[in-house]
Amino acid sequence: MPAFILQFAHCHEDFRLAELDALSELEGVAVRYDAAGYSAESPILVVEIDSAASAAKLVRRAILIRSVSEYWGSGATYAELFAEVKRTPDRWNEYMQKSFKFTVEGFGRSLTQKEKVAVIESFSFLGFEGPIRMKDAEAEFLVCEEYGETDLPVPPETPKKLWFGRIVGRGSRHLIDVFDVKKRKYLGNTTMDAELSLVMANQALAQPGTLVYDPFMGTGSFLLTCAHFGACSMGSDIDGRQIRGTAGFRRGVNGISANVDQYQVADRVLGSAVFDISRNPWRAGALFDAIVTDPPYGVRAGAKRLGRKNGTVPQKSFTVIDGVENYKRSDYYPPTVAYEMSAVVSDLLAFAAERLVVGGRLVYWLPTVADEYEPEDVPLHPALRLVANSEQPFGSWSRRLITMVRVAASPERAASQVAAHDPAHKNFRDKYFNKFEPL
Amino acid sequence: MRLITHNMLKCHVKNCTDPDKQFPLRFKDVQLEQIDAERNDEFLVRMLPRIDWPALSKTTKELDITLPETVPGNPEDDEEFLQALHTAILETHIKQGSMLCDGCGHEYKITNGIPNMLLAEHEI
Repeated sequence: MPAFILQFAHCHEDFRLAELDALSELEGVAVRYDAAGYSAESPILVVEIDSAASAAKLVRRAILIRSVSEYWGSGATYAELFAEVKRTPDRWNEYMQKSFKFTVEGFGRSLTQKEKVAVIESFSFLGFEGPIRMKDAEAEFLVCEEYGETDLPVPPETPKKLWFGRIVGRGSRHLIDVFDVKKRKYLGNTTMDAELSLVMANQALAQPGTLVYDPFMGTGSFLLTCAHFGACSMGSDIDGRQIRGTAGFRRGVNGISANVDQYQVADRVLGSAVFDISRNPWRAGALFDAIVTDPPYGVRAGAKRLGRKNGTVPQKSFTVIDGVENYKRSDYYPPTVAYEMSAVVSDLLAFAAERLVVGGRLVYWLPTVADEYEPEDVPLHPALRLVANSEQPFGSWSRRLITMVRVAASPERAASQVAAHDPAHKNFRDKYFNKFEPL
Repeated sequence: MRLITHNMLKCHVKNCTDPDKQFPLRFKDVQLEQIDAERNDEFLVRMLPRIDWPALSKTTKELDITLPETVPGNPEDDEEFLQALHTAILETHIKQGSMLCDGCGHEYKITNGIPNMLLAEHEI
């Protein structure tokens, strides 16, 4: 298969290959690459795809890929690069008379306009006769000078590697601006940033015809991004105020319906409800194509579930206040208790194993303590297969975007894993407020 | 709240387990609103196997909404069927009212289209 150059955005490095794999499945485009050989230090990954058209299709929804280019050459020096490009002169013919544009970029070093022009002129051996067009050129070429990142105050003098190709497709990073939370009509203090909300929609394979559910919807970010990509979405939360907009940063806009209108996804954001996911009213059976969620870690949003510390006191429901039984009063709110993180996650997996269709995906954030984390911390389930685990580091703690796929096993209760130690996310809240010092 | 969501929810009060009574929930004192939505046939056809048709039939009858008794053999080619299904489950919104469980009597209130399905202390 022909080779192509993927140019990644300079962020969320650990999420790149996971998103690429998800897009490959979503778009039905096979992509071959050497995962073991890839280092996140490089913004470039060479892959094999069957055609330029497939390559464009593969990346069109990508949030972490800037562009995909037909591979024309690479090298440690321009001499090496030119030598490789000159081995396939036949392919230059197609562009002889076409309008063209060259984009020259430095990774790890800013190139001056003068330097860029010099680079472009060095490619004159291609002999293109068409006009140069900065906008809407028929053929666009990318030159990437990879200097690499360094801790030194001055960037390296010479690049590690040089890359050259013809751009055939671009990703969807422009959506980050469209969904920017600063522009969002309604948000709360736990609203996920646009970039990762969009990546999650790709991880979930959100697409027309699918139904996505968020059991900790908060202000509904994932309902919006999944609906943007054509899925229908539903959400629930134990806190109705987040949904209705009576809590959160911007009140008086009617909560998530303001965002649904803003992004014009009213036809596909199907509904929300208020309930405790650990005591949920969904009927039996496989209902959802994906579950996409950021469960509360107990830090900013108190993770809670219905119950009372030391046990429920059923009689309290029936205390008569102003002639009405307590639980029937319009302002009744049932008592809640803390919902410990490892229970949140294991319940989420058990729920996903029952309510996802086979092939459906669970995409969720797992908080973890950097010094304590071990891969075994990631909970498993016999009916779910782990397909991705990407870390967003925050110093002493991280969160990991976990993707699991429902497989055709019967969803019995998972045998409790005999862990060598408690997972790093157990009692995450206490650890967080203890600044991750040993308790 | 749309009827498609209602079709997926049952009563979950502790010990309320009679499947014929806990689902579907019965609407009471409801205010409906029809809001046009773009037809989404791919979604309708894909969801069909997941919809509980007898329950949907029962509910639409209670609300005086037209829906065929049974699902046709080739639903994806049946324009009339798809339009009726679309209107029923995606365009019909329950704005206010409640859902009643015939099994235990719990009343789930719907406010501004959002149902409150929190259980009281004695129900968990």
